Amino acid sequence: MDESALERYFDESIIHDSNFVLEEELELQGPRRVLSSTPSAQRPSQLAPKSRATGRSGDDLDLSFLPDELGGQNGPGFSSTGVLTCSQAVPPETKVPNDGAAGGGSDPVEERPEAPELSQDSGVSLDCSALASAAARPLQRTPAAELSTAASPFCVMTPMTPMTPMTPVTEGSGIVPQLQNIVSTVTLGCPLDLKFIARQARNAEYNPKRFAAVIMRIREPRTTALIFSSGKMVCTGAKSEEESRLAARKYARVVQKLGFSARFLEFKIQNMVASCDVCFPIRLEGLVLTHQQFSSYEPELFPGLIYRMVKPRIVLLIFVSGKVVLTGAKERAEIYEAFENIYPILKGFRKHLLFLPLKGRVWLH
Amino acid sequence: MSRASMRCPGCGSSNIVDDDLYCQAQLVCADCGSVVSEGSLAEESFNGPDISYSRTTAVTRKPCVNLIQGLERVKEISRILRVRREIEELALTYYKQAYEHETFLHVTLQRKEILGGCCVLASCRQQRWPITVGTISCLLNGDPAAVGEVYQEMIKVLNIQAPTFSVTDVMEAHCQEYKVSPGHVPEELAEDSKGLTKRAIALVELAADSWIVTGRQPLPIMMAAVYLAWQSLKPNAQRLKMSLEKFCKLAKVQKSKTAGTRITEMKGMLYKLGKEIPWYKEVLTPDNVVSLVGDVLQHRFSLLRRALKSHELSLLEKCPAGQVNPSSAETSSSSDVSEDAGQTPVKSSVNAEKEKQGRDGDESLKSPSEESNPQTQELTQNWGKRVLFAPPCVVNAKRKRAERPPLHVTGDEEISDSEIESYIRTPQEARDFAMMQEKLFTSNNESS
Repeated sequence: MDESALERYFDESIIHDSNFVLEEELELQGPRRVLSSTPSAQRPSQLAPKSRATGRSGDDLDLSFLPDELGGQNGPGFSSTGVLTCSQAVPPETKVPNDGAAGGGSDPVEERPEAPELSQDSGVSLDCSALASAAARPLQRTPAAELSTAASPFCVMTPMTPMTPMTPVTEGSGIVPQLQNIVSTVTLGCPLDLKFIARQARNAEYNPKRFAAVIMRIREPRTTALIFSSGKMVCTGAKSEEESRLAARKYARVVQKLGFSARFLEFKIQNMVASCDVCFPIRLEGLVLTHQQFSSYEPELFPGLIYRMVKPRIVLLIFVSGKVVLTGAKERAEIYEAFENIYPILKGFRKHLLFLPLKGRVWLH
Repeated sequence: MSRASMRCPGCGSSNIVDDDLYCQAQLVCADCGSVVSEGSLAEESFNGPDISYSRTTAVTRKPCVNLIQGLERVKEISRILRVRREIEELALTYYKQAYEHETFLHVTLQRKEILGGCCVLASCRQQRWPITVGTISCLLNGDPAAVGEVYQEMIKVLNIQAPTFSVTDVMEAHCQEYKVSPGHVPEELAEDSKGLTKRAIALVELAADSWIVTGRQPLPIMMAAVYLAWQSLKPNAQRLKMSLEKFCKLAKVQKSKTAGTRITEMKGMLYKLGKEIPWYKEVLTPDNVVSLVGDVLQHRFSLLRRALKSHELSLLEKCPAGQVNPSSAETSSSSDVSEDAGQTPVKSSVNAEKEKQGRDGDESLKSPSEESNPQTQELTQNWGKRVLFAPPCVVNAKRKRAERPPLHVTGDEEISDSEIESYIRTPQEARDFAMMQEKLFTSNNESS
């Protein structure tokens, strides 16, 4: 990214970005909401209007701490702190295994002596040392250094409103997890005669000795439902929330047509499963060492690593091939958030990169 | 002793005697035998303190028999494994703690025994004494999956962290099992256990770098490594001809089926490296690579570098320099290697340049992955084929079954009656179905 682009970028969004940076400085384990708010585009033009649009305006922020000269020196000076990651000369002294997402664990900081190229798709966490040392560099950083020192006593942070992405495509990874299965429940509100249903419906099977529910299937959307005599129903197999709702309605309609006074009450999505592929192999042994509190890797029992993310509460199955399965979500946004959290961690375990060079990234984690 | 003043209500005689021969003293009429008055069993007053029922009937609380047995079993397992005393004591502590917890208090005895084994496993892991889950499940005669399940629960209950072992940690103990030292087998087939272990560990490390180890069961890999190490330490015709099965019989270990696949994979990896040996003039195939294993291991870093370079060159020949994708794949593999080589400065500066290309390559690689069309599937699949070393599950990717095209629905659409009708039986059909069920039912009854 060239200097002028940086300036343009930072003139518009500098106020918001300073908060990002400061949060990083003050809390090593930056609040995960910072990350979740992220999936902003890299292009400055996109980011600026977005940050405005979400209403995270500078009005709420107390900027009195900012030194006066910064008002006139928005561009390069600020940019160097605001986007430590932006500048080409910034050393990649960043902790890749993401503290924010993991919420803990001590990760080794890898340093590269030479200035690396910056990566476009890295959502990497900065830690204090990186900020401080970067700030200490003599590249037009005096205001930056002042900012960082002046900012340390600053404690109050306006929490970021998470920006739900307009499209699920996040610039962070460029990979979108695909939903594979949705499990939802519905109450039909009246007791049902399962034997009768099994007799009258073509697509039903009922074996009371094996399981106490009717298993019904429909073709479109291709799903399966378990219908219990209490009138409760579980619908599985849909690939999206809307599909699941439509399928559940169809089942309710079938039960209605069979003569029961079924209604469609309390439709709730209980679980969502998604999968994606990061397209590079992952060192699971390394990942379990650095993220011990969250990961469980027992190759004798299961070939994948089970990563229990705390926020959002999602379980990820990570395989050596780079395929990731995410489950336990009640909402689509949780899946995307979880993947954006894990992606930088995984990239760190892509064997050749123990750090992630950054290129034009503002938000981080 | 008679009571003169009383009269029997039955017969009126005054001949009343005191009958206190038995437990209760009674006044009985001697003539008719009726009881005039009874002793005051119930009227006796007791002026002591109140004694509660539970206290008088309480049994002294003995330690649970199953707990004692379980602790004995834990001791037994520790002694069989010959672990250090601290490990045994730690395991006993864990067992006592976990046993009392509600998750494990009311489970079957079998599960409690498995819990004992898991406690030993956890304490071995914490004290860095390498054993595998397989060993514990063998000792417990249990299913490794069940052991794993109990282990995970126990870890949660006790809130401890027990770091897992890598294959290289367990390797040494595993190598001890192979009875191929000079005392056990004839001279030509014998191998000193230290040398064997060292070479096997080197092979496992090399395999780990080539993605053969991650995610796989450790035992077949260890077996394959020992086999290849044994063969390569003295690659004469006799050893090379000996199959894995015969070797296992010789060494008195049980052969594992997947070890054969691992051997093939390791030979493939050694072949890729062995190709680069400049002084080997004959034709190299994965079969005759075993004789070169010593050289490969000795010069593995430089051979890796060479292999990567020639891989890049071959890729560049296949696709002209315009395409960035191949170079991105190479950077990942070249960087893989640089890590192995301990990040020699030369390599890392080369990497720095390549990373830039790599970044671009990666991006272009990722954006296609968003689309779901066969071309991208091929591309994403092929990343495994394009690098020098990739996990075998990627290289031999299974063909994905045809995915359903996503439905674009809002969830609130109208549901057509005809569609729903299609799921309901016509009355005639329902009658036929009922009849058939009855027939089946009665015929079942008759036959049974």
